[in-house]
Amino acid sequence: MRLLTMSLPVALAMLAAAPAMAGALENMERERAVLIQAFLDPELKPSEREARLETAKRRLVDLERMTLRDEGTTGRNTPVVRRAFSNYDLTFLVHAAVEKNLAVADQWMDQLGLTTQSVMSARHGRRW
Amino acid sequence: MSRLGFSTVFVLGLLAGTAISVARAAENPTWQPAPVERLVKLPASYLKKSLDQDFAQSPLGQAIRSSESEIGLKAQTMADLKNAIGSATGDVGMELRHQFLAEKKAYVSLMSGKNALRKKHLETKARLFERMLDRVGQDKEGASPGRQELIVQQQQARSRFAASLSKVELEVFRTSAAPESRYAAEYGKNMAAIEQLAQAIAAHPMSDAATRDGQPMSRQDAIRGLLGEAQAELALIQQEEAMLGYMAKLVSLDAMALADEAMDVARADSEVPDVANPAGAVSFFVSR
Repeated sequence: MRLLTMSLPVALAMLAAAPAMAGALENMERERAVLIQAFLDPELKPSEREARLETAKRRLVDLERMTLRDEGTTGRNTPVVRRAFSNYDLTFLVHAAVEKNLAVADQWMDQLGLTTQSVMSARHGRRW
Repeated sequence: MSRLGFSTVFVLGLLAGTAISVARAAENPTWQPAPVERLVKLPASYLKKSLDQDFAQSPLGQAIRSSESEIGLKAQTMADLKNAIGSATGDVGMELRHQFLAEKKAYVSLMSGKNALRKKHLETKARLFERMLDRVGQDKEGASPGRQELIVQQQQARSRFAASLSKVELEVFRTSAAPESRYAAEYGKNMAAIEQLAQAIAAHPMSDAATRDGQPMSRQDAIRGLLGEAQAELALIQQEEAMLGYMAKLVSLDAMALADEAMDVARADSEVPDVANPAGAVSFFVSR
């Protein structure tokens, strides 16, 4: 019992000293999801959407840079890293959009193959 | 009481175990270099010094040093005896020659012991360098095709990013009313400081890359060079062993010669007449 009383604070201190940390890539993915959610959310007014997109975009620029400069991901052959670097245009959305002089939303839709023509020709119905 | 008895037995057992392991270490001194994972990270120019220092502090290194000092003393004794033999005659001379032979035998045995220790050192060193080479090779060439492809993609992504950096800077930050992010502002400042530090590291004398004939060498080349040196020393030790074998042969021949000589002297000094052959006793018969 005494041993348990002594070892418990040590164990707790060790747990506190080693928090589970997400890398720059994981944070970037999360921020990109927020940005996509902002331009897909039908509840938002145009001004709100614009403000949210602007904030998310600025955050995403920093996170994209952190990810690209992160030496820890070099050669880290995990599914997340592999997928992230297999399509620069979709992963590093803001940088790719600026490079091509496109709005971020256009860049994303372009990468997913969503064009005005394809949306207009789409039919509403059950997917089999 | 029984707790006390148990703890006494436990402590005595521990002490006995320690004494046995100390005795074994003294009989069979070893050198355990630092783990390969740590050594491969050292600068190539510092690796040899680090290993030499580590070895000098090991039981094997100490055993070689003490063996060398014993051999030095033995050589001095042999030189003194050789000088004394030159001026000695008769029984004293014979005794000195006998002692000289005994010292020569002890010298060969000490040398052979020292060579066995050196061989152990060099074999450990060679094995270590081989493991280091394997490790460096794994790091460099061991990437699977998937990993290699990923590295290529990452290089391409980084060069594409570097090319678009200023444009993104202008578009996202300069044209916007919002202030530049802390990361963007601090990154450039820190990068300049990092470059200064990197220059200082490159100019530091201890960070000199290993060189051969004035040409910088890769880590693999440097380790291969050290492995070659260890193998060359091992080959020389084999040659020295052959030399010691010849020395031992000469000592045994000298011993046989000395024994023969001692028997001759004993025979010459004998007062008993040689009458084993009848011809030697003829004089007793022909005179009256």
